[in-house]
Amino acid sequence: MLKGSQTSSTSYLIKQLPKATVFVNNRSEIVYVSDKWLEEFNFSNQDVTGKKILALENRISKEGRQALKACLQGENQKKTIERSLFISLEKQFEWTYSTWYDEAENIIGAIIHSEDITQLKQTELQLEKQKVLLHETSENGNIGHWEYDAVQDKVTWCKRTKAIHEVPPDFEPTIENGINFYKLGYSRNTISMAVDRAMRDGTPWKEKLQITTSNGTEKWVIAAGKPLFNDNKFIGLIGTFQNINEHVISENRTKESQHLLRTLIDNLPLNVFMKDVQSKKVLVNKHELQFYGLEHEHEIIGKDDFAFMDHNSALRSHEEDRYVMTTLKPMLDQENEITQKNGKSITFLTSKIPLMNDADEVIGIIGFSLDISNIKQKEEELKNLINVTSLQNKKLINFAHIVSHNLRSHTANFSMLLDFLVEENDETEKETIIGMLTHASDNLLETLENLNEVVAISSNVNLEKEPVNINEKIRSIEQNLSVFLKNYDAKIINSISNAASINAIPAYIESIFMNFITNAVKYSSPERKPVIKLSSTNKNGYTIVSIEDNGLGIDLKKYGSKLFGMYKTFHPNKDAKGMGLYIAKNQIEAMGGKVMVCSEVGKGTIFNIYFNEKN
Amino acid sequence: MKRINLICIIDDDPITVFGIKKMLKSVSDCDAIDTYTNGKLALEGIKSKLETTQRVPEVIFLDINMPIIDGWQFLEEFITLPASNKARINIITSSIDPADRAKWEYFRLNTTHTITFNYKPLQKQDLFEITKVA
Repeated sequence: MLKGSQTSSTSYLIKQLPKATVFVNNRSEIVYVSDKWLEEFNFSNQDVTGKKILALENRISKEGRQALKACLQGENQKKTIERSLFISLEKQFEWTYSTWYDEAENIIGAIIHSEDITQLKQTELQLEKQKVLLHETSENGNIGHWEYDAVQDKVTWCKRTKAIHEVPPDFEPTIENGINFYKLGYSRNTISMAVDRAMRDGTPWKEKLQITTSNGTEKWVIAAGKPLFNDNKFIGLIGTFQNINEHVISENRTKESQHLLRTLIDNLPLNVFMKDVQSKKVLVNKHELQFYGLEHEHEIIGKDDFAFMDHNSALRSHEEDRYVMTTLKPMLDQENEITQKNGKSITFLTSKIPLMNDADEVIGIIGFSLDISNIKQKEEELKNLINVTSLQNKKLINFAHIVSHNLRSHTANFSMLLDFLVEENDETEKETIIGMLTHASDNLLETLENLNEVVAISSNVNLEKEPVNINEKIRSIEQNLSVFLKNYDAKIINSISNAASINAIPAYIESIFMNFITNAVKYSSPERKPVIKLSSTNKNGYTIVSIEDNGLGIDLKKYGSKLFGMYKTFHPNKDAKGMGLYIAKNQIEAMGGKVMVCSEVGKGTIFNIYFNEKN
Repeated sequence: MKRINLICIIDDDPITVFGIKKMLKSVSDCDAIDTYTNGKLALEGIKSKLETTQRVPEVIFLDINMPIIDGWQFLEEFITLPASNKARINIITSSIDPADRAKWEYFRLNTTHTITFNYKPLQKQDLFEITKVA
């Protein structure tokens, strides 16, 4: 047994050990213990000497017990890891068991060191995690890393970096060959300068550049690097290397398709617009901007139709939007007239289509409007042209029927009379028939002359109009008709100004006035002396000459439609041929004018002749 | 064949009237032939005879294009006359206007009188066929 003082001084020595240490005898009873151990295992202020360690620290694992046992039997140096929960905090201790010998090399117990390795273990774990993370990031993000050790002048590339460069795993990189992978020109210049600057003044870099791999493939990468310094001394570079080729390619592709789309919608001969659910514009093309007289998109984005259209147009447009967005039915080729704030109106053919998101919810509409004002106008012109054409066609067919009718009736007469003549034996009757043939021949000639006259009017469209003084013409007609007028005791009251002149074809004017005046006299009432009143007014680009008589008048309900027809006569007058009014009307119309009539039976007739002042 | 009491020719062309009259001599033994140069005169003549005899002519040759009252206007009024007998109205025309045929169709369907449509020149045979009591 050791002496008391000796024991006590040893005990004191051990008590002060900086490490958690405990000495146990062969019976596993604690002999000496360091304060650190007591502190670590929460036995401070307790006298643990003489207590069995396994009983005291009952959390010691099976391995620990075995290790202690082996140690007491002379097997030196056993290590175990013990996990202990202290105030809900798990701690890990490494217990080292060493055999305790006396001077005579007798085993007298075991020395146990307990070291808190929690921190160490955690750091180890952290490092492991970091490694895994780095690997995953590198794999998934296609990011490699590299390092340059300036001291050893050695460059290291990770597997990924090598893979990006498409070089074999045993490739030995250097600063120089690394830089040479960059595409000649911008990329290589940029990286050379970046590396140089980093070494000189410590500036890190991050650049989007192109490399050419060992297989000759061009790739987009993000090369980043940072110099490392130790005590202000440059010791190397470290960096990452990210393959963003697919990203750049798809980005470029997106850019390209965006550009294509933009070019397309801007150059479509249509107004294209997109609106959100509140009918506010979110996109417009160039034509839509131009339509509203704007230059920049931002002037229209976020605004609705009320900002640019008049109230009614905007209201209708919003109703359409709402209809399309609620029914999800597209509105196709709707013809609308849109009036802008400035009052300008344009006819559009508009389609609106509901716009859906991925979740099939409506997020707005896409609209297309085609300006069809020109088409509309052309359509209108065409309609007018068709009207004129069909009117002329009608006239032509009517004329053809007249011609056919007249020629046929004469030839029918000839044929019939000739048949009679051939079969006739009676000489007197023969002479009668020949007399009739002569008459028929005269009639035919006259008919042909009449038809010629009509054709002449219709085909003389190139006759030039010139200013004609109305009264001069009337005076000359009065002179020519002086005998005729005297016979009927007719009186002409002319209130037309001497200055009045019309733009007309002189020959037609004479014929027209002659016709109307002689008609007025011929169909005068037997009950009164014929009085003809002439007057003129101007209205809407027309000079209207009125010829009013106090004659028989005509029942327009019965004869109105035939009044100006060829060979239409309405009075049992021997001279009536049914040509005068027909020709007069044709002449008036050939000069772009028209003729209107009002009449009352027994009172008289007024003809209003409209002369078109335009050419 | 039933005897025809009265034939009527309404035409402003004296040659046609002459022709029809001449041909009638050889196809019919009717002596009473009235001629009018327009529809107005024809209506006046027919109406005055109707008052005394209650009859209208059995056969009428009708021209279309005539002054004052033309063939169609004549027909319009004629079919309203309270006649006790049926007339056979033969339209004689040189018109090839389809509108004229359409008008004929209209009148044909709107009267109990017989109405035929004939083109000039008339042959003796044609005249024979259409000169009979309706």
